[in-house]
Amino acid sequence: MNLTKENTISDTRFGTITYEPDDILTFPQGLVGFPEEKQFLLVSTKQASSFRWLQSLKHPELAFLVANPAEFVSGYSPVSEAKIGDVLLTTVNIPPGRPKEMTLNLAGPICIDLVSRTGKQIVLDNEAYTTRYRVFATASSESGDVAA
Amino acid sequence: MLVLTRKLHQSIVIGDGIEVVVLEVRGEQVRIGIKAPKNVAVHRKEIYEQIQEENRSASEVRPEDIPG
Repeated sequence: MNLTKENTISDTRFGTITYEPDDILTFPQGLVGFPEEKQFLLVSTKQASSFRWLQSLKHPELAFLVANPAEFVSGYSPVSEAKIGDVLLTTVNIPPGRPKEMTLNLAGPICIDLVSRTGKQIVLDNEAYTTRYRVFATASSESGDVAA
Repeated sequence: MLVLTRKLHQSIVIGDGIEVVVLEVRGEQVRIGIKAPKNVAVHRKEIYEQIQEENRSASEVRPEDIPG
């Protein structure tokens, strides 16, 4: 028996998830369009993957695909008030069956303070940031077949 | 919806800390200035709706489509 108090959430898209109270991330304002979702877990389904899921604690069936934008975009540091140790994530959109059309939402980054374990989604009302940043080259510019 | 008519440089006060002022009217475009406390988020509605749509899409990604 271990003495750590563990909780579980069942019927998620990834089965039953066991977590500790300290794993919970609190979003006081929820996410844009999802104001009632105030508690999440950050879930990895594969080791060493660039992608994770922001799993709602309130609705087991609800999880948002997120990634660290620094792995895909250089020079993206949109949040001036971010502190060292904050984690910046963006949501990821992949049309069904078309992974090469994956996009990141650079206009709505999610900033998580790992010390207080609170997060918020920031709305960047600035034309410099697109909601659909294309990660992979489009078909026409791929023909050169040069590895990055 | 409350509807008010304002002239150039006239403003509307909302609650204690929010002021909305008409800065410029040019043809079909209106420039609006907003003074609000830092904790009040102010965005153009279409940006907010686009981010909401991206959030919804991110919740509908199929795990088998994720690269790697």
